[in-house]
Amino acid sequence: MTSETPQPPPGRTSYADRRKQRLDALAAASADEEGGVSLILSAWRRLRRNPVFLVGLAITVTFVVLAIIAPWLAPYDPAARPLLDDIRPQSNPVPGPEPGHPLGGDDKGRDLLSRLLVGSQQTLMVGVLATLFGLLGGVTLGTIAGAFAGWTDSLVMRIVDVMLSIPSLLLAFTIAALASSPSQWTLIIAIATVQVPIFARLLRGSMLGQRASDHVLAARSLGVKPHAIVFRHMLPNALGPVIVQATLVLAVAIIDAAALSFLGLGNPDDRRPEWGQMLGAAQPYLGQEPHLAFYPAACIIVVALGFTLMGESLREALDPKTRR
Amino acid sequence: MSTQRIQPAARHGEPLLAVRDLRVTFGRRGEEPFRAVDGVSFDVRPGQTVGLVGESGCGKSVTSLAIMGLLPTRGNTVEGSAVFDGEDLLSLSAPQMRDRRGADIAMIFQDPLSSLNPVIQIGRQVTEVMERHQGLSRKEAMPKAADLLERVGIPDPTARLANYPHQLSGGMRQRALIAMALACQPRLLIADEPTTALDVTIQAQILALLKELVVETGTAMVMITHDLGVVAGLCDEVNVLYGGKIVERGDRHTLFARPRHPYTVGLLNSIPRLDAPRGEALSPIPGSVADNLPWDSACAFAPRCPNALDVCVRQTPQWDGDDVVGLRCFNPMAVSR
Amino acid sequence: MSASAGLDAARGARTAAPGEVLVEVRGLEVHFPIKSGIIFDRTVGHVRAVDGVDLTIHRGETYGLVGESGCGKSTLGKAILNLEPPTAGSVIFDGVDIASLKGEDLRKERKRFQMVFQDPMSSLDPRQTVEALLLEGMRAHGLDTDKAATHARLRELMSAVGLPPAGLKKYPHEFSGGQRQRIGIARALSVGPDLIVADEPVSALDVSIQAQVINLLQDLQDELGLTYLVVAHDLAVVRHISDRIGVMYLGGLVEESEAGELYDVPLHPYTRALMSAVPVPDPTVEDSREQILLTGDLPSPANPPTGCRFHTRCPWRQETRCDTERPELRVVEVAGASSGHRVACHFAEQIAAGEIERHEVEAELVSEGFGGPDGPPTPPEAYIAP
Repeated sequence: MTSETPQPPPGRTSYADRRKQRLDALAAASADEEGGVSLILSAWRRLRRNPVFLVGLAITVTFVVLAIIAPWLAPYDPAARPLLDDIRPQSNPVPGPEPGHPLGGDDKGRDLLSRLLVGSQQTLMVGVLATLFGLLGGVTLGTIAGAFAGWTDSLVMRIVDVMLSIPSLLLAFTIAALASSPSQWTLIIAIATVQVPIFARLLRGSMLGQRASDHVLAARSLGVKPHAIVFRHMLPNALGPVIVQATLVLAVAIIDAAALSFLGLGNPDDRRPEWGQMLGAAQPYLGQEPHLAFYPAACIIVVALGFTLMGESLREALDPKTRR
Repeated sequence: MSTQRIQPAARHGEPLLAVRDLRVTFGRRGEEPFRAVDGVSFDVRPGQTVGLVGESGCGKSVTSLAIMGLLPTRGNTVEGSAVFDGEDLLSLSAPQMRDRRGADIAMIFQDPLSSLNPVIQIGRQVTEVMERHQGLSRKEAMPKAADLLERVGIPDPTARLANYPHQLSGGMRQRALIAMALACQPRLLIADEPTTALDVTIQAQILALLKELVVETGTAMVMITHDLGVVAGLCDEVNVLYGGKIVERGDRHTLFARPRHPYTVGLLNSIPRLDAPRGEALSPIPGSVADNLPWDSACAFAPRCPNALDVCVRQTPQWDGDDVVGLRCFNPMAVSR
Repeated sequence: MSASAGLDAARGARTAAPGEVLVEVRGLEVHFPIKSGIIFDRTVGHVRAVDGVDLTIHRGETYGLVGESGCGKSTLGKAILNLEPPTAGSVIFDGVDIASLKGEDLRKERKRFQMVFQDPMSSLDPRQTVEALLLEGMRAHGLDTDKAATHARLRELMSAVGLPPAGLKKYPHEFSGGQRQRIGIARALSVGPDLIVADEPVSALDVSIQAQVINLLQDLQDELGLTYLVVAHDLAVVRHISDRIGVMYLGGLVEESEAGELYDVPLHPYTRALMSAVPVPDPTVEDSREQILLTGDLPSPANPPTGCRFHTRCPWRQETRCDTERPELRVVEVAGASSGHRVACHFAEQIAAGEIERHEVEAELVSEGFGGPDGPPTPPEAYIAP
């Protein structure tokens, strides 16, 4: 796009014409375009070509779809005990694979494949909800601190610092243990609470960066109202790293959920399976029947990997340095 | 420093550095290759200061990085030759090039803060070069480093050796960098926008220093800058780059008094001069580099050129000239400026 | 409602005619506290970024502010718009003291004075389309009530800065540097301001693009009767674009004059040094010109020299007064200097008359930063004239 059309010297009309045509064509081309390419759109275009992202996406989508259709996919009710008769407490405490039960059963004679499939529901739900609640709390606190700055910022950040100073698993452990009766909601709240200070700190930092940026100064000098500056300019531009962190935290939340379940702080009702809880139940048989622990552990690792790959490539795509 | 002007003496003879048909192409997989430097040739003779002038994206910095072997190892191809003292720098291995850098050829960069290691004292950074290339011990090198700092005009040099870069001002840091570059008495100094990050009064100090050093030591210098004013006072020979090619070359007096290429003329007309009468409107070059045509089949500057002919958009203009003076244009400006 | 109704409505409030005083800055100071301490922040000193500036800008003129980095020119520009709250002093804009305004009162007043920024990329929100960027200010000041008129106004703004209307739907990163700066100018114009403070409006642009933007600023001034305060380090650019120029050194004005006269009759030693340091793209001039090279660096604004701020580097420094008494801006009787030419130098007349000889200055070391390994910088030692 040439902004000034200079007057070419007379006598060279042919070239001047050509230039004019070129400019017209350019103008026409830009008029045809439906809107411009936003940053999100261009990030998505880069993501779409990134094999790392695609692998992460494939893993994640596979597990989410599996979790959704698990009740129909699972050959058996995860609470039913079709293999109970095969259990011999002395010689064969865990039934091995047999026709109709490709992965065999667990120590209570329940179908392992069904439990793994249905277990993904609980694990993913705990991970996603914990991250969402953590994100919500963190973004609220971070926005308050970043938007008001001054003593509000100091107050919020000191609270956050205190929360951060406690080892995260220990904090989750305490919260889960404080609950009167453990359930998956205790897990979600415990893990979410652990994530809140991380998100808050991250967002606050990037909000303060935005506050000092030229485009926010420009909005101030334009006379834009303070709330519009916070919600239109500071928050959207500050969210990038937080979103990336959220995808990475998802992986951590799933692992944390598994860890707490393993320690018996999750849902005590083992008729509703959950990977971490299955892992915990597999503990006594670790020597003889390692596959009992292997399957849920592998699922946890692969799902966590899927989210991590997505998060890392998202971070790369949103990084302004790699743009274009 | 005094206020007297020093005339850099142009000496003729065999070129110390002869760059021939240098091409640098950047291209990552899945991307259209981009030719940043497109057949650049120039000579630098001992004691001579050669300027490479152009705007951002014209390939001037990439040229210097390619000569110094400082381009990233992946994602680019470098063709052509850069013969320094009978040896093609572009064909040297990385360790051989490391031996040359800092010893025979030294470079000064634009940003003195990021070019210095922030956690190492100035003195150690200066002596490091001498230890590496001249095999001196640090004890032997320290007094030499102090001498160097004194020579580049840093007050109280012995005390400054113990300072960290952040404790010095921008101008002093650039002086320290120059001291490092001069530590092994290089025969060629490449200065890439050495004063762009500095204020004018500091720029004047640094330019005067460089001029003095070139005359005193007989070092050849390649000066890369976007500032025509800097070139006018410093360079014996000026090369104007546009879109990766040299479009005009001449000694500074000829080039500034009688510029021929419409781009050179456009550049000169688009900057306000401090000593010109006020009130005249500037005549900018229309458009931007985004309008460039590919050099393969046209003159890249044609879409922005007030003098463009039909042929300019159909054919590549050839270099008309030699290693001292030359022009790449179908329809140069009349000599009447 | 016509296309430019918003602009006209904003103009209706104007009272001052061309040539009248639009902005009057009195005793403006901006001091930044230097904090230190592990648990509780303690103020250990102040950076005197702007330290007592008086200046007057007339309606319709361009006032240029030059100086080197660290002289406080950018801070002064922002302080005049109250984007950087002044520590002391007043800024009377068309009868209203902007410096004392706060909150909603200040926000509403902002449509009358706008800013153009140095880096067009960082000053445009990357997530907004050009249309959203231009609409924002109009919306904030209630200038977008009529939909059709607003739409027409957006197109008018784009054409005023030389961009195609199709650009409205695009995002800042899809434009080149020069075009982005045009968007920044269009945004400033969107609310119909009287005064535009342009902070280094062209220094981030390529040489060939700079002239386009300079010409655009001048055209817009002719067309809309704008008043500019241009802050820049490039003397040639400032001299080209300005009617009057103020030269700043370490937080204070040292000289103020009509633009042409400043180059012809520079009175302050610092102005002389600054002028002589600007390279001219003409080898003949470069070879014959006498340069006044300053030695040393700018002293720290946290610890400015006593007396005349420039005395530590001044080649015309005298034994008396210079290091004890801070000179006021005053009109001097020197051949060629008009009555609007003010200078803050005790010995301006004698220097102009050649009665004082220039002498060599021993460079003093100035350390940058505060609280490095060596602790805060020590005050410069008493200067002993050779």
